[in-house]
Amino acid sequence: MELGRVVSELGLEPLATGDLTRDVQGGYACDLLSDVLAHAEAGDLWITHQRHLNVVAVAKLRDLAGVIFARGNRPSPDVVARAAQEGVNLFLSSEPAFEVAGRLHRLLHP
Amino acid sequence: MRWWRADLHIHSALSPCGSLELSPARIVAEARRAGLDLIAVCDHNAAENGRYVRRRAAGHPAVLMGMEIQSAEEVEVLAYFADEESALELQAELRSALPDLPCDPALFGDQVVVDEEGEIVRCEERLLLSPVALSLAEVVARVEALGGVAVPAHVDRLPGGLLAVLGLLPPGEWPAVEIAPWTPLSQALRAWPELEGRGILRGSDAHYPAEIGRAWTDLYLAEPTLDELRLALGGRGGRLLRPGPPIEEDR
Repeated sequence: MELGRVVSELGLEPLATGDLTRDVQGGYACDLLSDVLAHAEAGDLWITHQRHLNVVAVAKLRDLAGVIFARGNRPSPDVVARAAQEGVNLFLSSEPAFEVAGRLHRLLHP
Repeated sequence: MRWWRADLHIHSALSPCGSLELSPARIVAEARRAGLDLIAVCDHNAAENGRYVRRRAAGHPAVLMGMEIQSAEEVEVLAYFADEESALELQAELRSALPDLPCDPALFGDQVVVDEEGEIVRCEERLLLSPVALSLAEVVARVEALGGVAVPAHVDRLPGGLLAVLGLLPPGEWPAVEIAPWTPLSQALRAWPELEGRGILRGSDAHYPAEIGRAWTDLYLAEPTLDELRLALGGRGGRLLRPGPPIEEDR
């Protein structure tokens, strides 16, 4: 499903956006970046509470469709600026990770 | 200059997860038993027992003030100080940056400040084993502003290891890191090539008396002080460091 449609269906707030026509192929929910590096797949939309700058690097390295910061965990401006520079899509959701993951799963696997 | 054997990661009875047997007197006795020349007591977000360990040791072994700080990202960082005031000032700041959760001794263990004679000074009621509301970068900056040295703890393991939690070394200097007691040095360098050329420490992460000195780092220094350690961590001034062998994995 196209990223732009996922964003509107889930009511996400865009923080940094590049290519919103990207195909979202799956989801990954995890706060341990080493685990995301090892196991997330290209095209995944990643749901996390971790707001460190390394989130951008990991999303880029794994070629993820984007990152959703759950439960209103807004990253700092330097993280957003780096994501914009690297073309990494960042979004904010006010909902807890469990809700975001549930809704994303329903959307991708109706 | 000469080689000094150092264990710079020892918990005391002030850590909820640390054994109540880890009084200053016991820590000093075990450090002497293990042939350590330099130690640091690093309790979770607290430094207070370090001053009593230092009094008890009276220079044998030398004692750095220390603590193990858990950042908002849940990354653990060892902080070392030469003087008690700076360490205790940071302890007070961290305490106000901790969530206001009580320590339930049945779940977490007691958090006890014990003096050099074994008398209980006080019990810390707030749970120390929580992340503080400061980012990793803020923690490192604060430690350095107070004249201390920050070293990410057991970077390769969970929970709390910088590389395990954050996947990569974040931007910054990172002259030195600690690896887990059981990780062979060659394995750490293979898994994390970005550690090449950095100072690598190994500490015991002792939570029980018998674990003190089970892992160590040999330091080539003029004297066992923070300034000398800082040189060794950066590989400067002819100072050197050499992590000891890994222990058998216990977890």
